[in-house]
Amino acid sequence: MADSERSGLGVFFANLKEAPQRVLRSLFRSGPPATDRSRSSFVFDNVFLHIHAVRTHRWSLRWATTWGLGVASAAAFLIALATGVLLMFYYKPYPEVAYDSIKDIHFVVPTGRFIRNLHRWAANVMVVVVFLHMARTFYTAGYRSPREFNWLIGLGLLVTTLGLSFTGYLLPWDQLAYWAITIGANIAQSPQELTDAVGITEYFDPGGLQRELLLGSDVVGADALIRFYLLHVMVLPLLFVALLAAHIWRVRKDGGLARPADADDRLGPPPPDTYPVFTETPQKTYHLAAIVEGRTPAVDQSPENTVPSMPHLFYAEMGVLMVTLLVCLLLALSFDAPLKELANPMVPENPAKAPWYFLGLQELVAYSAFMGGVGIPTLVIIGLGLIPYLDRETRGTGEWFGGPGGGRLVWHSTVIGLAAAVGIAAFAIYFGWLREWFPDIPQLVITFVNPGTILAAFYAAYSLYLVRRYNSTRAGALGLFTCFLCGFVVLTVIGWYFRGPNWDFYWSPADWPAH
Amino acid sequence: MNTRTRPASATAKRSRLDPEPLPRRDWIGISAVAAAAGSLLFALLGILRLPKPAVFASPSKTFNVTLPEGLALGQPYIPPGRAVMLVRDEEGVFALSTVCTHLGCLVRPAPDGYECPCHGSRFAPDGAILKGPAPRGLPWLQIDGSGGTYLVDEGVEVPVGTRASL
Amino acid sequence: MNKNKHLLLWSSLAVLALLVAAAVEENYLKEWRRIQQSMAVEGEPIDVRLRQIVIPELGTTDRCVTCHVGMAPGEMALAAEGTGLAAPHPFVWHDPAEFGCTTCHGGQGLATETADAHGEVRHWPEPMLPGRFAYASCGSCHTHLGVPDFEQLDFGVRLLERHDCLACHAVDGRGGTTRPFAAAGIEAPDLSHVGLTGVDPYWYVHHLEHHELADEGPWKTSFAPIDPADLTALEAYLGTRVGAPGLVAAKSTFHTRGCYGCHQLGGVGGDEGPDLDRAGLMDPELLDFSEVPGERTVANWLATHLHHPAALVDGSQMPAMGLSDEEIELLTFYMLSLRREERTAAFTPNDRLEAERFGAREFTTDGPTLYAAFCSACHGAEGQGRRYPDAIPFPSVANADFLAVASDGFLRETLRRGRLGRRMPAFAADQVGLTDEEIDTVIAYLRHLAGDVPAPPEPAQFRWVEADAALGETLYRQHCASCHGAEGDGPEAPALDHPTFLETADDSYLVDTITRGRSGTPMHGFGSGTPAFPALAAEEIEAIVSHLRTWQEE
Repeated sequence: MADSERSGLGVFFANLKEAPQRVLRSLFRSGPPATDRSRSSFVFDNVFLHIHAVRTHRWSLRWATTWGLGVASAAAFLIALATGVLLMFYYKPYPEVAYDSIKDIHFVVPTGRFIRNLHRWAANVMVVVVFLHMARTFYTAGYRSPREFNWLIGLGLLVTTLGLSFTGYLLPWDQLAYWAITIGANIAQSPQELTDAVGITEYFDPGGLQRELLLGSDVVGADALIRFYLLHVMVLPLLFVALLAAHIWRVRKDGGLARPADADDRLGPPPPDTYPVFTETPQKTYHLAAIVEGRTPAVDQSPENTVPSMPHLFYAEMGVLMVTLLVCLLLALSFDAPLKELANPMVPENPAKAPWYFLGLQELVAYSAFMGGVGIPTLVIIGLGLIPYLDRETRGTGEWFGGPGGGRLVWHSTVIGLAAAVGIAAFAIYFGWLREWFPDIPQLVITFVNPGTILAAFYAAYSLYLVRRYNSTRAGALGLFTCFLCGFVVLTVIGWYFRGPNWDFYWSPADWPAH
Repeated sequence: MNTRTRPASATAKRSRLDPEPLPRRDWIGISAVAAAAGSLLFALLGILRLPKPAVFASPSKTFNVTLPEGLALGQPYIPPGRAVMLVRDEEGVFALSTVCTHLGCLVRPAPDGYECPCHGSRFAPDGAILKGPAPRGLPWLQIDGSGGTYLVDEGVEVPVGTRASL
Repeated sequence: MNKNKHLLLWSSLAVLALLVAAAVEENYLKEWRRIQQSMAVEGEPIDVRLRQIVIPELGTTDRCVTCHVGMAPGEMALAAEGTGLAAPHPFVWHDPAEFGCTTCHGGQGLATETADAHGEVRHWPEPMLPGRFAYASCGSCHTHLGVPDFEQLDFGVRLLERHDCLACHAVDGRGGTTRPFAAAGIEAPDLSHVGLTGVDPYWYVHHLEHHELADEGPWKTSFAPIDPADLTALEAYLGTRVGAPGLVAAKSTFHTRGCYGCHQLGGVGGDEGPDLDRAGLMDPELLDFSEVPGERTVANWLATHLHHPAALVDGSQMPAMGLSDEEIELLTFYMLSLRREERTAAFTPNDRLEAERFGAREFTTDGPTLYAAFCSACHGAEGQGRRYPDAIPFPSVANADFLAVASDGFLRETLRRGRLGRRMPAFAADQVGLTDEEIDTVIAYLRHLAGDVPAPPEPAQFRWVEADAALGETLYRQHCASCHGAEGDGPEAPALDHPTFLETADDSYLVDTITRGRSGTPMHGFGSGTPAFPALAAEEIEAIVSHLRTWQEE
């Protein structure tokens, strides 16, 4: 029937009948992703997929290139985000009721316990994976030009991740939370250790200001709880999402993942089922041709070793997401998130332990609150941030432990880093430190001479030695990073397993006194 | 895909705008996407259950109430914090909900019984409806006891006319 | 690149499997679901859902009734035929619908799993009270008033029996089989809760009338006039019948063993030991159970502690009191009941209001109870003094020789001001909380204990001795220092250098005491000689007193 023969009503019903199909077609405008072009459209027609490049280099899809750690961090964040929003349905951020609302979530909210466990484990998985992701980027020298700035964004994401995790720690308002935050707030105050020693606290008190800003009061109470809640559910997630978007976007803008110069040769010829690209025309012409001089950002690289992101990259990404979810689920079903007694400002937890990723710092804090809690972490962050600007070599980019010395250097540094950390910790545990020998010694001396600073100085010296010996900044960086990683692990394990009541050393938690 | 063998020359001649020459089912890919979609959908269904509360934090609906001395016959007494009024008449004491059956505003005493301030419903002293928009009269609630002290259950409606002894 | 597809496929399937497992656990395997699924009313399964009692004024949300469904409000039909978890709550004065569950039983009301709900898990400081101590929870709101020492409580029971009150009246589940007005008449009231409403002041008059009018039956045979002393004791006993006989007996034991001498309750009592107002709310996780046999319960810890305090608490000054097992059980019960919580006015009972606002006493203020509650732990149940291992011995106070020379004024001052720095606390109202009347009652009881020793006249002159202190010093070293110490600081015998002692003891008291000695103690009278110590002359005794006074001047 021709249109002219149909009545208006007829057209209406015909359109109604076609509506479902038209809705589908408006959603999938480029049709099924069967050709390379429709696959490209699939990516750049979609606001969420558009942060990916349309084509992905085959090197990036090797499992060993990244082990999927970046996507896993994002996946853990998404899981924590989804479960966190769900928890907000029931969580009440007020001291008298916060604890009870967690009990409610645990006992009566449908799927509540499961969601809370998932939230907690996703947060922990995220911290682990973010650390690993950073280590991966470092060891494959992925921070080098043009990716320096993305390394800084990554550092921002690391700090935000720790902030998210730490602010979430207070929310259950149990003993664990209360005393961990009390300690955390006092660490924020610890610059007073310096200003007190110099005697200027009265006029210039950044420590006191930090603590006040964090707690909104002089004690951990309702004001602190609402601040931590605000940071945890609003400020830090927004910041994280913004940084994450920039991070992923820069990955694309910086030309995908770093890869060795000879990656194409190493990969060999593409598998027979991948279709060649740019066979009709020799240049890319679709981008800013009028503005950019030269050929394309992908200079010196053949496009032939790329594959369409849809579906190859997305299989990989979805696969990593699912594996991350699987790990979180396994943990959530096996271990309940802890909830201790209701916070009691009169009875301190003993030992009051920070979240595990801060236990290394807590071990240092035992000597100097300022150095362990503020000084050394700040130096570490600054040091990490400087790496891409100091290491301007090209050797080994995109390769594991790439650079002068390579795997052997990392192996040596691991042994030295572990030995030094265990050694200084054991020394301090068995013989005590300055305060035990000279009870009247000024705190300022301990602030600058304590196991933490000595260890850091030793690592720095070792790293300078490596720079000299290999005549390479990268070698020094490899050594220093490895050493700090080892120190972090050693101190964390000591703080987590070997420290008991009164922060005394015990070979096992089973040896702790009964109360 | 890698099981397929295709002469390299055929690859070279094909344009990236052409559909794949031999459309076939990529069973692993399809089932992988289906499994992923299925599990995410299942997770979504599961978490959609969370917002519906399993229990309400509302207080126990059963409470004791002692009538103030010298409460006049027919004068309603509303225990503090409760949406219930106790009325004493010649036959005994009865409990009446003060929640309007229209949209849940609390009714207040009026010269001829009770009126709802929100939409003007009016009720007789025994709760019977006098004027809409309320669809029915005020519910009578369970009351037990005698001698000025009564146990009232807000949660249990009883037939009109059920009274406790004086 | 197929391996990414496999990765996605198998991880998704594993995720799906775990989610299904979680869903099954959530929807079918929860303990409370299975419990409710097994219940039925007239063959119909009950509604499977979470049940709870919420009392905002008490801050409780009790989900105990999710498993103990028969006790949930509005489950009358189930409760009518149910047994086990479907059984209704036994009748109690406080309706669970109005008071919740944890208010009385402890435990974790928010929990929906057995171990958590019963509080037998870590990180829950308030486990359920053991069944035999369930009434200890009364103490979180109530303060039972006027509880006498154990002897008088026991006497009350015997009075009820002796006067045949139990023929008609039921008390604490005993008696009450006979109806006073023949078989058809009404039952006599159950007196188990009479202490709550107060004893009818005219009951005896009415009973007498009935007795005189009756020709036969229980009014004639069971009731007979009661002598006034018994009547007072009987009424005092009935005042303690508040429906918690076990707890009252436990409290009475506390009042018998002199615990108030060192411990405070509601601001009354000595301050040597810890304040016990919230002793029943100890967090088991903060207690040392390494020396405690049996389960890790607060009750067990308390029992072991009462048996031998220093074994559990390092440096504890509390002596092992030599308590019997029954006494330890009762004191443990009472300790568990010390759990004062702040409640809203609606949930603050009158007895506690009377105690806190109007100073009503938890103990009776008769001599025997006051002495037993405040003094007996140190000075002995009969005032004979007491010696605990590794502690300075406590002097005998109900000693005829002592009381014959100690004036009431001296005793009163001693009780009021105590011995600062020694174990004897100052019992005055502004210190420990005893009123002057109560102190006088104790003094009168002491004189009664020692065999009704009359009080010596108050000294006309407080200081009259004027003798040679130097001679006194020689004599003191010779005769006194072996027990009282070279500087008068004891420790075997009472310290003589204590400023309060020297301030309150008059010269006549000192001279008379040295002259007469204390029978029943190592202190013999120096007025008459013994083979070991020849008698001292009056001047010599006065010289010693002068020497003692030199310490006061220092």
